[in-house]
Amino acid sequence: MMAKECTELGTKPVCKYEYWFAGIPSLSGKKKIRLKSQFPDPEEFYRLPIGHIQQIPWLTEREKKAVAAAKGTPEHKLDAQACYCAEKGIKLAIWQDPGYPKRLRDIYSPPYGLFYRGSLPPEDAPAVAIVGARGCSHYGKQMARAIGCGLASQGVSVISGMALGIDGAGHQGALQAGGRTYGVFGCGVDVCYPAAHRELYGAIPKMGGLLSEYQPRSKPLAMFFPQRNRIISGLSDAVIVVEAREKSGALITADFALEQGREVYAVPGRAGDPSSQGTNRLIQQGAGIFLSVGDFLKEMGIFADFVEDSAGNQKFSLEKSERLVYSCVDLSPKSLDGLLAETSLPLGELIEILESLREKGCILEVYKNYYIRPEPSGFA
Amino acid sequence: MYRIVSTAIVCGIQSILVQVEADVCDGMPAFEMVGALSSEVKEARERVRAAFRNSGIRLAPKKITVNLYPADVRKTGTSFDLPIALAVLAAYGAVPEDYLEGILFAGEVSLNGEIRPTTGILPMALAAKEAGKQAVCIPIGNRGEAELAKGMAVLPAENLNQVIQMLETFHKDPEKAQNARAYERMGQGRHREGDCDFSGIHGQKVLKRACEVAAAGRHNMLLVGAPGAGKTMAARATATILPDLEEEEALELARIYSVSGRLGQREGQFFARPFRNPHHTISAAGLAGGGAVPKPGELSLAHKGVLFLDELTEFKREVLEVLRQPLEEKAIRISRSGGNFCFPADIMLIGAMNPCGCGYYPDRGACACTPAVIRRHLGKLSRPLLDRIDLTVEVKRLPLAELIGGGTEETSEAIRNRVQAVQKVQGKRFAGSGISYNSQIPVPYMEEFCPMEQDARKLLQDSFERLGLSARGYYRAIRVARTIADMEGCGQIRRVHLMESLMYREIDRKAWEL
Repeated sequence: MMAKECTELGTKPVCKYEYWFAGIPSLSGKKKIRLKSQFPDPEEFYRLPIGHIQQIPWLTEREKKAVAAAKGTPEHKLDAQACYCAEKGIKLAIWQDPGYPKRLRDIYSPPYGLFYRGSLPPEDAPAVAIVGARGCSHYGKQMARAIGCGLASQGVSVISGMALGIDGAGHQGALQAGGRTYGVFGCGVDVCYPAAHRELYGAIPKMGGLLSEYQPRSKPLAMFFPQRNRIISGLSDAVIVVEAREKSGALITADFALEQGREVYAVPGRAGDPSSQGTNRLIQQGAGIFLSVGDFLKEMGIFADFVEDSAGNQKFSLEKSERLVYSCVDLSPKSLDGLLAETSLPLGELIEILESLREKGCILEVYKNYYIRPEPSGFA
Repeated sequence: MYRIVSTAIVCGIQSILVQVEADVCDGMPAFEMVGALSSEVKEARERVRAAFRNSGIRLAPKKITVNLYPADVRKTGTSFDLPIALAVLAAYGAVPEDYLEGILFAGEVSLNGEIRPTTGILPMALAAKEAGKQAVCIPIGNRGEAELAKGMAVLPAENLNQVIQMLETFHKDPEKAQNARAYERMGQGRHREGDCDFSGIHGQKVLKRACEVAAAGRHNMLLVGAPGAGKTMAARATATILPDLEEEEALELARIYSVSGRLGQREGQFFARPFRNPHHTISAAGLAGGGAVPKPGELSLAHKGVLFLDELTEFKREVLEVLRQPLEEKAIRISRSGGNFCFPADIMLIGAMNPCGCGYYPDRGACACTPAVIRRHLGKLSRPLLDRIDLTVEVKRLPLAELIGGGTEETSEAIRNRVQAVQKVQGKRFAGSGISYNSQIPVPYMEEFCPMEQDARKLLQDSFERLGLSARGYYRAIRVARTIADMEGCGQIRRVHLMESLMYREIDRKAWEL
């Protein structure tokens, strides 16, 4: 095994001790930065007798224990970790590096190091976070995808958490537009979580990056996720909450965003709709109202000359009975039973009309026997 | 003296004739019994001895030997008491030999000489009839059951003394033994009238239609819906729209119930299709049948009728997997050390389950299950089992207005008449091909039995890709469409029939887009 496995980042070599130091669990970024200023060489710190650590007055007992435990890691494991990172293409940006995202430097509790695959968001391009509930509606998912697509096509970096639902849809939209997108993890960047997003996990590093403050191989623990939300908002200039229930993790991101002085936008939902209660509440509390990508970009002062694509408003020629059925279908899914009751058509006739509407592309079957209008109009 | 008496033993739902030999000779007084006897058959000795004494029959102390043959069949059950008692009496000369000829005996004897009812009398009576016996002498409590095997005198036994007298009368004048009208006793009743008529279910048009389609083509059906949406009610109602049993079917079913000692449950509804709904804690043996001496399980008790499994996802996985083979073969084979048994199990399976852990998906207002939870919930059912279910229907909770809403609904009887007509059409089509319902059409015969209009074929091909159907799902859709076409009186499957059939396709596994 090599004695000192190093990876290049920018100009500064990052050695195995840096990986080790950045990966110490249960120690906040702020404390790590303070430790680093006291012990600039991580190798020296690694070799420092545990007695010295006990003397540091500003470390709590718990933190001292965590550091002591980390210092117990044998040297060969440090080598192995560095090799593993090199193998998986996992890079590390630490606080002092010039490549460390500037936006993060300003936040209250910045992460000490960022493990990442792919690249970090560029400083000169605007970055917007798209967040929302995992359990979202079809409408919410479509909105997130459309927003991701619209922003990314204008060169905005789309940041999110790669969770199921809104987050994933935001990433998908950005990828669809061929733009940059970045996923912030609550686990090691080598862990694909959730497993259902294997495709995104493979695609995002090519078009942007996956980042995490937790060392590789960290498991996705529930306590990590609220913390990673501060990085999502911290990396962004604005946060758009697409859909959130009254108590949603996405609202934590919004809170962080306000703390960090980022703009918060919410996509309005129908009053009383449980999956939009959180976003509507944000609007009540003064969040920006997200109506369209163009509006948003203008308000943010990013692209004043953004022209809305109006191809979404198609004209259909429908027969009378088709119009009747079409008028009953809206943006939230309607069941066959519901349509049957609303239209009072016989079953055979109704399914024939639904089939022809589906063929014309006027409606979409989103779930077995549930129908919806395909796109929120006004979105490309 | 040596005498021989006929009886029978139940083996599965069949019956094998068994001879009881008795020999009485001088020597040390003893009562020996041999011939592969289980402990309850050995106990017959004590019961018979006490019964003799209490009936006032005094026998001289002699050496009695009783043998049951064929000796390689293990004898179990309590129906040997009566034949043993009569063989011993005959061997003592208390009953003339020719009184016993051509009669099959079965029954349990109590210590005071009374004859008690026992299980499996119907298969025994049928076996006796097949073997050319003139009469069966059975407990009076099993009389109706024995009379179902028409064309044979039934001698109902009340107690030992009465049996001896009855044998004498029967010997002198066999004509005097009259046969009661058993079918009347079992009940002309065809359908349970009551709470589960379709007229009691308001709204739910799609559900009702699906039930009718399922019943018409005898398709297995899965009901998916929120708790309290009416899944159980729909399943019960479906059993009432199945046409009555044919006489032969009814008799086969009676055999099964006779063997498991439940024929009483069929009283008054002899021709009604059975409806069984075992609780989800049932064991594999309870469902398939089993025990040291295998008895029919719920699968067989639902033979020719409906097996309803409520809360399908709560059943133990290995229990559900038991269903796979019987659903294909319409029978269940059980192998035990005592031998191989085959119980018929031609069932229509109706399953009911909640769409997710809490039961309210896809109602996003009420359901907060995560996609992973839903996936896990649906994953409790194995694919091979789902592949055997032709129709999947969502049952919605009704708004109150619709629930109590006016308007009269169609009765089960009206629907049953339609179903009957559709089954007749199928019977005509499949005559001589070994199948009788659309759900049984084998893949190689699809083209022959399911001609399709051109645009229907195109729709099917398009849907195959759009909906990601499996090969099995593809053929299921055709079979169901065939039934729908039959219901509409069309020889060819039309586009609209296929559309409806696709409406009943399997539940989407990738949940969570609503």
